[in-house]
Amino acid sequence: MKTICIKGGRIIDPSLNRDEIGNLYFNGDKIIDESDASNIEYFDAKGLLIFPGLIDLRCHINDLSGGNCENISSVTRAAGAGGYSTVVLMPDLNPIPDNPATIQFTRDQINKDAIVNIKLCGNLTKGSKGKELAPIGSLQNAGVVAISDSPVSTQNNQIFCKAVEYASMFEIPVIDIPRDLTLSENGNAHDGPQALKMGLGGFPRIAEELHVQRAISISRSLKSSVHLSSISSIGSVEMIRDAKKKGVSVTADVTPHHISLTENNISDFNTNFKTSPPLREEIDRLHLVKALMDGTIDCVSTAHQPITEHLKNVEYDLAPSGVIGLETSLNISLNILKQTKGFTWLKLIKIMSTRAAEILNISGGTLKKGSHANIVLFDPLKKWKYTTKNGNSNGKNSPFDNMIFEGKVVETIINGEPILNYKKFISL
Amino acid sequence: MEIPTWKKKNLIGVQSLSQSEIRKILKLAKFFKKSLGTKHNHLKGKRIVNLFMEPSTRTRIAFEVAAKSLQADVISIAEKSSSLTKGETLRDTALNIQALGADAIVLRHSSPGASLFLSRIVDVPIINAGDGAHEHPSQALLDLFTLEESIGSLEGKKVTILGDILFSRVARSNFWGLSKMGAEITFAGPSTLVPKSFESMGAKVSHDLKDSLSEADAVMLLRIQHERQSSSHFPSLAEYTRIFGLNKSRAKWLKKDAVILHPGPINRGIEIDSELADSDNSVILNQVTNGVAVRMAILSLCTLSRIE
Repeated sequence: MKTICIKGGRIIDPSLNRDEIGNLYFNGDKIIDESDASNIEYFDAKGLLIFPGLIDLRCHINDLSGGNCENISSVTRAAGAGGYSTVVLMPDLNPIPDNPATIQFTRDQINKDAIVNIKLCGNLTKGSKGKELAPIGSLQNAGVVAISDSPVSTQNNQIFCKAVEYASMFEIPVIDIPRDLTLSENGNAHDGPQALKMGLGGFPRIAEELHVQRAISISRSLKSSVHLSSISSIGSVEMIRDAKKKGVSVTADVTPHHISLTENNISDFNTNFKTSPPLREEIDRLHLVKALMDGTIDCVSTAHQPITEHLKNVEYDLAPSGVIGLETSLNISLNILKQTKGFTWLKLIKIMSTRAAEILNISGGTLKKGSHANIVLFDPLKKWKYTTKNGNSNGKNSPFDNMIFEGKVVETIINGEPILNYKKFISL
Repeated sequence: MEIPTWKKKNLIGVQSLSQSEIRKILKLAKFFKKSLGTKHNHLKGKRIVNLFMEPSTRTRIAFEVAAKSLQADVISIAEKSSSLTKGETLRDTALNIQALGADAIVLRHSSPGASLFLSRIVDVPIINAGDGAHEHPSQALLDLFTLEESIGSLEGKKVTILGDILFSRVARSNFWGLSKMGAEITFAGPSTLVPKSFESMGAKVSHDLKDSLSEADAVMLLRIQHERQSSSHFPSLAEYTRIFGLNKSRAKWLKKDAVILHPGPINRGIEIDSELADSDNSVILNQVTNGVAVRMAILSLCTLSRIE
């Protein structure tokens, strides 16, 4: 079998703390050392950045809401275009993954249609209803890498506590979207100055913070891990930072929209800015960015949530929350983080890839010898305009429609196969 | 009188109006008020559709009377009689109304931003007759009109708005209108319905009735909508009346010539004593009459607007 050498690119591999111009070799679906290479074909990657495929810890295809918006094929095309080699699908699937049979069904679909790696997240409770524990051990045997009721937040403390305790036996991560529903029942917007003017509101910071504290207390007392997804408030950041200092095993992620947008973006009732948790104030945004840089928040997850246009194009309070993000996540994160002190590409790729692999305890996020050849080629100078119209996701609900970016994923290699048909790569 | 040039097709809120635009509306309303009862032909042959998705008596009838006084054809649609009960969306209902030849749509809806949403979908003028807790511009404009009529220029005047501010579109629209006209606004009431965060808009916030009344040139009472809030926002109507109800003895805290407004419907004996509502200081019924004149001005300006 021919070895391919990606030659002369800037290789960024957080797992080896490697950032240098060099050559990367792969043979079949595995990355190999130069010394093991023979029959080499070269691909000139001068001027390109080469890094491990991105990993999205939280992605929805939102299959349950009706409208048949996204499917395995479209979501993986969007992921590939955005540089993601692995996405973890949340359990809002149809059928719902609360038992091994439905998981097998979804895996069959994945095997048929996916062009990037898909991992599944099983339900924490049966039917995501929050009442009875799902068969977590059996779900793990069926292949799920995490459990969660995302995007639903488990409200019952007893059930959540037992789920964490039970899951720890299998060392399977529990993902929680921190939200107390009694405090955020009609949570259309952040309870801040902007929403106050607009007559909206209903999702105060404390609704999130109470459940962040719950996760910290449970994790601390049971000595088990909990992953908190979509952190949005300054108070949550402070609690997580303190907990980590004390050695509590909580991890956290933030979305690209929460580090780049604020409540001011909803001022004209555009439902493509309606998210859950809601966009908050500038002070929250600044602290989220800082927390990402200092490691308080571990990684960026897209919370990609495609919603059919006719469901989103309604009155603001009637529109479902959620935005798509797979194709813009890397560029948004790059734009925001490169302005911060201490930015390095190693840190960015760690946040976008390596750290998620560690939290989920899955392979990936590395270009080490012997690992799967999941590789991104990124042209840092290429300018492009993102439009939902030409986007790969079937969802058009992006807050970043028509944005012009500098830097573009030009090829994503999945298990040794380039999937974006980058011209130069094909010309090999 | 000729209808002055007007470039805004839609009336979504007072927040987006300038002081001079407000003055233009009030001036035209003054003209219509002088000739109330006479028919004008400014909207002859025009079709105004009242699309009311929430209960309303005063506002709906005032818009209807205003439109008819301008010789427009008026069609009123209420939620219960429309296809929205069959699951049709607001978007589709409005597109159909437009296709049937409406020249303007007056919309009352429970969703904040509903009028703005609709204005992006249809081409005909949208006049917001109340959208959730967002805005109720025609109410605020008629309140401004009534206030100027009773206490003169609003520059430097102090106005206290008392009651359920959090859920009130009237309070918000009045805040924008009054502040654009140079008045100082105090929001008063229980801390759960008048959170301190309103200070971010530029209003004063008070939970002390005496304080908030003693310097006011006008006090605007809002209906307590106990049916709308869960009981978590305040314990009971009786408690509200005991702490924040405006009665005769508390009215003594007011300046002698301070005026009392209320957008209606009034809960007599709850937010205001019956006697006070009917007293010389009350301009509550003037508000109703002025509501027709102000809405005549709004309808003619928006329907005949010239977009450049």
